[in-house]
Amino acid sequence: MTDPITRELIQNALACAANEMAMGLYRTAYSTIVRDALDFSTSLCNAEGEMIGQGVTIPLHLGAIPYAMETLFNKFGDSMEPGDIFILNDPFDGGMHLPDIFIVRPIFCGERRVAFAVSTAHHLDVGGRLPGSSACDNTEIFQDGIRIPWLKLYHRGEPDQAIFTLLEANIRVPKLTMGDLRAQLAACHMGDRAIHEIIDRYGEETFITCCDDLIEYTERLVRAEIAAWPDGTSTFTDYMDSDGCDGPPVKIQVTITVQGDTLTADFTGTDPQVRGAINSTLSYTASVVAFCVRCVLHEDVPSTAGIFRPLRVIAPAGTVVNGQMPAASSMRGVTGFRKVDAVFGALAALMPDRVLAAGEGGNSLVIFGGTDENRESYVYYELLSGTWGARPDRDGNDGLCNPANVASNIPIEEGECNYPIRILRYGLRCDTGGPGQFRGGMAIEREWQLLKGSATLTIRSDRRDHLPYGLSGGKPGSPSINILRHHSGERILPVMVSTTINEGERIYHSQAGGGGWGDPLARSAAEVADDVRNDRVSCEAASQEHGVVLDESTFEVDASATSDLRQRMQAKRNE
Amino acid sequence: MTSHGSSIRIGADIGGTFTDVLVVSDQGQVWSRKVPSTPPNYEEAVLCTVEQLLGEIGRGGDAVSEVAHGTTVATNAVLERRGARTALVTTKGFRDVLELRRIRAPQLYDLFFDKSSSLIDRHLRFELDERISATGEVLVAPSDEQLQRTADQLIEHEVESVAVCLLHSYAYPEHERRLGAFLRAAIPNLPVSLSCEVLRERREYERTATTAVNAYVRPVMDQYLRSLRSGLAELEISGPLLIMQSAGGLTPEEDAARRPVYALESGPAAGVLGALYMARDLGVDNIVTFDMGGTTAKASLIEGGEIAYSQEYEVGSTLSAVNRLVGGAGELIRAATIDIAEVSAGGGSIAYLDRARGLRVGPRSAGSIPGPVCYQRGGTEPTLTDANVVLGYIRSGQLADGQVSIDEEAARKSIHDAIAKPLGIDLLEAAEGIHRIANARTMRALREVSTQRGRDPRQFSLLAFGGSGPIHAANLSIELRTQQVIIPAMPGLFSAVGLLCSGVEHHAVRSCRLSGQAMCAAPISELQDEMRTEMFAQFGREGYSSDQITWITSADMRFRGQTSEIRIRVEDEPISPATVERLCTAFGDEHERTYGHRSDPHNPLEVVAVRLIGRAGAFEGTLRIEPSPPSIRGSSSRDAYFGSQWGQVNTPVIDRRDLNEATRGPLLIDEYDTTIVIPPMMTANVDMKGNVIMSND
Repeated sequence: MTDPITRELIQNALACAANEMAMGLYRTAYSTIVRDALDFSTSLCNAEGEMIGQGVTIPLHLGAIPYAMETLFNKFGDSMEPGDIFILNDPFDGGMHLPDIFIVRPIFCGERRVAFAVSTAHHLDVGGRLPGSSACDNTEIFQDGIRIPWLKLYHRGEPDQAIFTLLEANIRVPKLTMGDLRAQLAACHMGDRAIHEIIDRYGEETFITCCDDLIEYTERLVRAEIAAWPDGTSTFTDYMDSDGCDGPPVKIQVTITVQGDTLTADFTGTDPQVRGAINSTLSYTASVVAFCVRCVLHEDVPSTAGIFRPLRVIAPAGTVVNGQMPAASSMRGVTGFRKVDAVFGALAALMPDRVLAAGEGGNSLVIFGGTDENRESYVYYELLSGTWGARPDRDGNDGLCNPANVASNIPIEEGECNYPIRILRYGLRCDTGGPGQFRGGMAIEREWQLLKGSATLTIRSDRRDHLPYGLSGGKPGSPSINILRHHSGERILPVMVSTTINEGERIYHSQAGGGGWGDPLARSAAEVADDVRNDRVSCEAASQEHGVVLDESTFEVDASATSDLRQRMQAKRNE
Repeated sequence: MTSHGSSIRIGADIGGTFTDVLVVSDQGQVWSRKVPSTPPNYEEAVLCTVEQLLGEIGRGGDAVSEVAHGTTVATNAVLERRGARTALVTTKGFRDVLELRRIRAPQLYDLFFDKSSSLIDRHLRFELDERISATGEVLVAPSDEQLQRTADQLIEHEVESVAVCLLHSYAYPEHERRLGAFLRAAIPNLPVSLSCEVLRERREYERTATTAVNAYVRPVMDQYLRSLRSGLAELEISGPLLIMQSAGGLTPEEDAARRPVYALESGPAAGVLGALYMARDLGVDNIVTFDMGGTTAKASLIEGGEIAYSQEYEVGSTLSAVNRLVGGAGELIRAATIDIAEVSAGGGSIAYLDRARGLRVGPRSAGSIPGPVCYQRGGTEPTLTDANVVLGYIRSGQLADGQVSIDEEAARKSIHDAIAKPLGIDLLEAAEGIHRIANARTMRALREVSTQRGRDPRQFSLLAFGGSGPIHAANLSIELRTQQVIIPAMPGLFSAVGLLCSGVEHHAVRSCRLSGQAMCAAPISELQDEMRTEMFAQFGREGYSSDQITWITSADMRFRGQTSEIRIRVEDEPISPATVERLCTAFGDEHERTYGHRSDPHNPLEVVAVRLIGRAGAFEGTLRIEPSPPSIRGSSSRDAYFGSQWGQVNTPVIDRRDLNEATRGPLLIDEYDTTIVIPPMMTANVDMKGNVIMSND
């Protein structure tokens, strides 16, 4: 056992190193998905491949490491040498979905393996059926892109050129993807250097013992919190509107059981895997559970494998939360967000004061793919997010990315300068946040126009039929919508779709609003008036939903009329 | 003490707690005073102190040739939401750009995080029916009725200041200028901030936010500067009043009143400039500055005698020191600023045990109220300062002219009860643990500006100041492996020194996108000329002639498609095709140095912005700064703990002036409001100017 002070010092150094890796990767990356969605992660693992530190990056990558490392060990456990670097993206070999490429570099002291540096990044394109390698209506993994099972990309410091050549030939934007791979390799190199610095300072044996201590310490921290929660079981069901191919809704069901210092999340009852590309791996499901638990902990815990030890995740094989060959999965992000909603929904029954109502449903993706005037391929990958559900003591955030994510938006002026796209509006919509004592966040809308040629258009959205839920009497948020507009009229597009957009046509997307929390009649009239003044809630909704009567020009609350109306509404409810 | 005949200059720095005033004569003689700040009328402390000091040296206000001033007035207005009632006018369809920001959340795993509120309420954000495309095509021109309606809206809502930001105005400012001229004519007393006059850079949110913050603080800053000016006039001081900008140069009061957003980080900038002055004075080119106070530790880099700049930072958030990668804590300001990394670790950082009995230090802070337990002002949780008291680093009794009194016993008891006893370890071990963990947090800031940028700390000196800086500097230097540690004379008045050593400086930027054939000398030259003409006119108004101005041009470059840019200095004059070639080589070198790889040599490069800095009137003399004596002479030795290797050692306590030869630690130097800790493995000496220099032998 290392002493608690040395452990804290080494933990700090590891977290710092993982963040440095993240910063290095971010600054040199080409992928707009890395840049704007921060869809990447950097980690350090001990000699056995257990995580001992992670950069402040996308939370839902957290659970990927154990599964990826297990398959790596099965394949190369006996033949790792100094200077080796491994690559993977295949979800059926320990990966998550094809756009996420893992780079793993074992770190050696002499000939002894002491740690691993890992970087994972979502690439703009990895081949496959449509630009961006992501389409909801891909029906088998082969359409998602090129599969890379665990391969040795470098052997004792020498690159395997054949792998690079093969990849370049299968990717639409090889310069960008290869640039990102180099950024990932550099990040792992930084990790290697940082581990050596730590070992120089504290000694090899102390470092190795401390890694185990750190994981055990994290485990104790999580167990201590769970033990303080009431024991109990709660089941929650949520849905995605489509299977990705315009098919039926898909059910996600989870039963959370808290018992003593352990938590079990059982997804039995969830629908079988689907035709479209929204199937997810078991590793992604485990990530979701760990993320949700971490959100309800009071204490900030180190990002180590210890987080998973008090958690048990049951996800039957062949379901949409544990897809089997040849399930397509490029758009599995939406399933991740819905799993988060389901787990929070279940936790809300056990710990009502620690959980928020449902937000916008996660990122919407709107992807344009085509060729520019120089016949070079472009992929314009837009991501919308930004609406939180209401909390037990406050409103949901307006214009803040989903808590399960660390995304950013694409500046309009950047998009318009780099792609044949014009953006016609971007903002928040009135009367979209679920009413409640605390209001859900407002829905976000954006509209694009294609200026030249034609392009493939892929949309991944959700929450049109199955709305973001409210809690404790709060109402759900408003539905999402996709509208394709052209000179002769407009048509509504499905929530998840791949189609063609032509020059001059416009696509409008609005996300869903966030769910409310608590009784709308309990909302303070002053807050309702402020929302009306700021065009967040209309006068009509103020009276219909909240029973608040206002002067339409001064926004002054008519206290007696409000009190009367609220009484009448209350009486009507009791009838 | 008197100063005859010659003119004198004044440097006044207002911080949250203290206001520092320095008066310097032509010969470099310095008089100084540190007094409590006087919020909300910050100028009072400055004026009072200036009057006193002038009286003491027997000079009148007419002898003052210049007042250089650093102020937190603008920042505080944003932080405390005390700015003007401000409106925003923007392109139709985009009034929420300001509120949406980049949608980033600064903290993960926190479901109760609240985004900081927008500086401009939604009902005060007005849309103008106009549109210019990315290539400059006018898609919709605003009608006269539209312009009139906008003016009517502003009047109706009784706004005190307005920001205007229209799409693509960084390149095509015509509509913005038209609206600006219309509003200025229609509502003469309304300050109008146009984005094309504040920031000519692509990216609508960043430009809008920068302009909005400018509009929001403009009336506050204007009012403040007027009060200060009239107070100075009463003291018969009529010399120019120059304001420190975030990027580290001074600007005349008129400019600061018009574009206060460039002076938001005035205070921290002055500190780094003080370090820059020291570096030049000592002939040291490479420095990592380290400023540790009550709640945060800050670091910045000086390399080759030049400050490192950052192009953006966030304001208006109560969160300090958030992760740079994630961001989103406040409004993102795109304005050149001195690159300062910050972590929440300071004397007030609270030490506690978590549920798994792990020892944590910070980020929670006891601040100055209630403060550390040893201050006896109601603090109950042990802090870093308490640990430093237990370790013997900080003396007990009175500090800083009796403004603080240290109760060692209270510190010992709190650490014993909260940390040592539950962990079953020795009190000194626990205190040292707190000290080292705080150092580990602090290292993040130091690494961020050095090793994370590919800089080798062995080529740098660590220059430490702030109340806790000199206590921690030696151990941090050992860990970071810097050459030496410098503790400047009068570390507490450092920022004011920075003010006196700076010249007037202006910054400008133009967005562009030059790559392939277009990346050549002509367009870069054109942008440079355009900015230089504008800036030259401004310098002219300020009374500088062309031979007094130094120009620095740089280009923001990246591989095409890459996320972030690297700023490369353009050395040549005039710019030729060979210049562009040299730029490309320099970019490749810097990319490799900073990130450890070169990327594919066949990937095309691009220039996304050209920047120009103009400098004039920098102080080139030397300041003769006498170290201030410790206010209260303590004992000549006390017990201090230096880790398990050395244990508790009876350590000599000396005055800085007693140190006249290289002396090996352990050694403590008590100062006015801090202590310089020289651990056993370090050797310390004092140079001719009174700086303490420590090195690891």
